Amino acid sequence: MHALTPLLLLYLPPSLRERRRYLLFEVLSERAIDKWELLKEILDSLYSLYGDLGASESKVWLIEYHTLDGATGGQGILRCAHQHVEEVRASLACIHSVNNVRVGIRVIRTSGTMKGLSP
Amino acid sequence: MPLFYDLIVHAHPETETPAADLLSLARRYGYAGIAITNHDQFCEAQPTLPGLFTGVEIQTESVTELKRAVKHYGGKVALVVVHGGSEKINRAAVEHPRVDVLAHPCGEKGEGGLNHVLVRYAAANGVAIDFNLDALIHTRRADRARLLSKMREILRLVRKYHAPMLVTSHAHSLYELRAPREMFALAALIGLSTEEARAALSDFPAGIMAKRWKKEREVEVLD
Repeated sequence: MHALTPLLLLYLPPSLRERRRYLLFEVLSERAIDKWELLKEILDSLYSLYGDLGASESKVWLIEYHTLDGATGGQGILRCAHQHVEEVRASLACIHSVNNVRVGIRVIRTSGTMKGLSP
Repeated sequence: MPLFYDLIVHAHPETETPAADLLSLARRYGYAGIAITNHDQFCEAQPTLPGLFTGVEIQTESVTELKRAVKHYGGKVALVVVHGGSEKINRAAVEHPRVDVLAHPCGEKGEGGLNHVLVRYAAANGVAIDFNLDALIHTRRADRARLLSKMREILRLVRKYHAPMLVTSHAHSLYELRAPREMFALAALIGLSTEEARAALSDFPAGIMAKRWKKEREVEVLD
């Protein structure tokens, strides 16, 4: 088989996909922060707290992040495995700065679907 | 929904953040109130806002100085906190019935600790043992591992002797405050169950403010 198998072949039917949780979170920061730097910090915190093994089970990915007006913070959506929400929450709480910008993160709401996050 | 309190927060003049800003953020996060406990000073101008309590965190190296300070602040502030860490100060704090909280008994890097004797004193004198979750936020690797194991050890003793316990943020700025659910998740790292963490953030702080575990109070209730 060719190394570049089309990604479509890797898709699982919905019934076999692993369950996920989506976390809507808010960031309070001194200055505006970059999405990728935030993701790097989230993953660093997760690896530091739970190690490679624990982090592999959480399956964290940052779906979306945007800065709010006034640039004192932002909101974003994070995806993780459905049984590891509390672990992800703890590693989000352990983040104190992103690129030397002080931040505080709070999870606003969790849901099994992206749609469920909007009230 | 219980009322949550964060009883150890540092504000202006010790830090740059005014107490009112911290309180409004804490309220947005779901707290009913916070207590401002600056090191060795307290502001009389502050307690006008509902949900804002004043306390003091006594930081000293000598036991005589500590006793003098406790006597000085006792009755003047709502909350007398002792900046723990060294064995000598920890012991003096849990033996003093007018002390409300022993803050970070294992120090900010896990250098101190408590044994069974001290925790029993704390339970008898109604001195709350504080789990400073900010230390878990600000340390990494070896320091954090040492802190976590020290805190677990203390938690085991606190459970055995039923000493009052607190979960606090020691926030110096807005960015160091954490919402109650985040505090539960951090407390779960030490081994506190959600119910215990909930009590450490609501029932115990309320009891400490009402001096529920103090001897004089018990006598009053019995009469």
